[in-house]
Amino acid sequence: MDRFDIAVIGGGPGGYVAALQAAKSGRRVALIEADELGGTCLNRGCVPSKTWLSHAEMLEQIGRAKEWGIKVGEVSFSFEQMVKRKDQIVKGLRSGIASLLKADQVSFYQGYATVDPDGAINVNGPSGMQQIKAEKVILATGSSPIIPPIPGLDKVFVHTSDTIFQIEDVPKSIAIIGGGVIGVEFACIFAMLNVKVTVIELAERIIPTEDEDASAVLLQALKKKGIRVLTGHQVMSLAQDPEQKLLTVRTPHGEMEEIAVDQVLVSVGRKANLGGLERLGVEMNGAFIRVNERMETNLPNIYAVGDVIGGKMLAHVAIAEGLVAAKNASGAEETVNYRAVPRCIYTFPQVASVGYTEKEAEQLGYRVKKMSFPLRSNAIAITLNQVEGFIKVMVDEKYGEILGAVMVGPHVTEMISEASAFISLEGTVEELAKMIHPHPTLSEGLFEAAAALTGEGIHLLAPGRR
Amino acid sequence: MPKLGATMERGTIIRWLKEEGEPVNFGEVLIEIMTDKINIEVEAETSGVLLKKLAKEDEEVEVHSVIAYIGQPDEAIVPASEAEQKITAVRATPASRRLARDHRLDLQEISGTGPKGRIQRIDVEEFLAQRSREPKITPLAGKMVQAENLTRSEIQGTGVQGKIVSEDVKRHLQSGVPANAVKMDGIRKAVAKRMSESAFNAPHVTLVSEADMVKAIELREQLLPLVEKETGYRLSYTEIIMKATAQALRRHPSINVSLEGDSIIYHSQVHIGLAVAIPNGLVVPVVRDCEAKGLAELTKECKTLTKMAQERKLGVEQMSEGTFTISNLGMYAVDSFTPIINPPESAILGVGRIQEKPVGVKGTIQLRPMVTVSLSFDHRVIDGAPAAAFLTELKEILENPLVMLA
Repeated sequence: MDRFDIAVIGGGPGGYVAALQAAKSGRRVALIEADELGGTCLNRGCVPSKTWLSHAEMLEQIGRAKEWGIKVGEVSFSFEQMVKRKDQIVKGLRSGIASLLKADQVSFYQGYATVDPDGAINVNGPSGMQQIKAEKVILATGSSPIIPPIPGLDKVFVHTSDTIFQIEDVPKSIAIIGGGVIGVEFACIFAMLNVKVTVIELAERIIPTEDEDASAVLLQALKKKGIRVLTGHQVMSLAQDPEQKLLTVRTPHGEMEEIAVDQVLVSVGRKANLGGLERLGVEMNGAFIRVNERMETNLPNIYAVGDVIGGKMLAHVAIAEGLVAAKNASGAEETVNYRAVPRCIYTFPQVASVGYTEKEAEQLGYRVKKMSFPLRSNAIAITLNQVEGFIKVMVDEKYGEILGAVMVGPHVTEMISEASAFISLEGTVEELAKMIHPHPTLSEGLFEAAAALTGEGIHLLAPGRR
Repeated sequence: MPKLGATMERGTIIRWLKEEGEPVNFGEVLIEIMTDKINIEVEAETSGVLLKKLAKEDEEVEVHSVIAYIGQPDEAIVPASEAEQKITAVRATPASRRLARDHRLDLQEISGTGPKGRIQRIDVEEFLAQRSREPKITPLAGKMVQAENLTRSEIQGTGVQGKIVSEDVKRHLQSGVPANAVKMDGIRKAVAKRMSESAFNAPHVTLVSEADMVKAIELREQLLPLVEKETGYRLSYTEIIMKATAQALRRHPSINVSLEGDSIIYHSQVHIGLAVAIPNGLVVPVVRDCEAKGLAELTKECKTLTKMAQERKLGVEQMSEGTFTISNLGMYAVDSFTPIINPPESAILGVGRIQEKPVGVKGTIQLRPMVTVSLSFDHRVIDGAPAAAFLTELKEILENPLVMLA
């Protein structure tokens, strides 16, 4: 039986990063993964979706080029090639992780792990059953899509983000149940592939956990792409007729509407993967594993990170948690600072935010002052002809603390890091308003919003979006 | 900073009662200050708007220096110090000037250690070293520190390389301040400072004795209507004890002394301070020339001063130049206690309640109204024997109050 200082269960972003960190701290480390290295993010999430989104964006750009006097002729695409390209990218990144693990001498076990409280781990893999033992265990088992209890759903084949990347043909029409982050990204992908898309969201607005103004701008943008967005609608039942799948949807007024589509994608949320952890008897926090700020569970020497502990289920959060767990399991005393976690949605326009939402800030007792700079007043946005969107800054009136920022527009997923840096380094609105930003850029919007908040705004004459 | 007494050299700002931008009327209380002797409210000498405060709370300022500007709302302030600076140029060596210029330092901020206070290169270097030792702080934490009137050095930074972050300031603000804590106000702070100064600086010895008050009670009963008729106030034991103490002090000048620096000052007059409890503190108004005053006059003065003290209306002159203090807790169920000397005085008398006690009188046990008097004295200045002699004399006077007429 092989013995290790630290065993990491799960090879997603939280797990493999934790394994590498622990190995760099001089520990003997085992990493156990039942499926592919890279987890949901690399295989069934961020990376494949961003690959397809880049295809979709290219198609949108070409559409725009026509309006700008660039003659492109008839545009067509090969979905087969798009799938191939996505697979190549995923495969390349996966082998990158494998070589990093090898370089740091992390022992990799392929198989499904069952964990005992004393650190004994059974790995059931292609090469049979193996047993290893570790002093400390980091649980990074991740999450998987929730299938809601909708009548008929068990009898109709529906896609989730786990299966949608394996389709071989583009459907003619698709219904996306759930207008959260995953739902709206797929809506953009399929809309640009000329699929008739219907997004059905139970809440009153799409991306309901994000800023309201961002929801409103994105809704307009999706509608402009020909996407049908039904907010406040509930899917009552599903059925399969010979040709199509039929959804019965209840409108906000209580009327029933039937929608017939080729495919259905369910994206209503994710649940923790707890298989193989039954014998641990670890304490739970609702449907997720409870940890303290050092990523320790209630059991000695057992840590947990990433989607399996809930909270913000984002790859970069899992990475931060994985690093902290690995360092603490190696003898350090670290905690995760969640104050500046950026949240990114890769739609067109993109939506990115960091820090507190307005509502959170108010609940925490801050006196919130906010200012929003519209992209239609921004030179670069005009040259790109992408003026849908805004850059909003929220500050605390007392000390000028930057509480949060929301950006909607092109490239904002890259730009949000400036706001993150200010929050994380505790720069205040005054410093932001005095920092020189390059002109012409989209990032000027952040500066203009800050300057307007300190009463020094030059270009933001009209009252900002409140 | 007003000069409130002949010996006052500097004063500490205890509390500002007005904020910048607030209107101030002539005679309105502007500020509470503490000198080495007392703390007192100072009134505005003119009307206008408080334009600027130059001194912070808890800051010690020399007398006659500017602490605030009162003027018209739009009036520009021409700081006195700026005007002075033009005249008194900074003395600095060329090398120090060059170094200061290279680091964009203001020479005014640097104190010189050279001849006639000239700034030398080493002073600038020391200033730079000092500055680099200051902990780093984030802009947000910096603003919090400023707004909350804190200093960087009192906060433990937990950021990268000890940088102070906002969490550290929040933790500092919460630490040591439980929900039921009340921050000490000016008078409380003043009392606290003077009490500990006295208790830690002066080695206290306390002598205790009992006096039979039978005759003093008789005396009070006889004089009560007379004094009340003359002054409108009721004679109390406080005044009788004060008169007796004054007489005893007269006869024992070694008790009526103060320690000032290396000198023992023998006071020719007896000015007795009376400890008076006021809301959230203690003040000591002084009755001057006690030995020369009759009981009627003492009664009138004690009652008037006590009332003024309780209404916080005492002036500086009414609280200074005491040579001895009496603290009377006789109205409570206190038999005796060890009072703390009121510096720069050297002794204090603590008076308990009058209570009937069994006393041996010529072979019999009798119940007599007894009072316990305790004398705390500063053993640096007063020896045990003279203190004991004084207390004995006081006991005898209280037991035979008629000798006060002698």
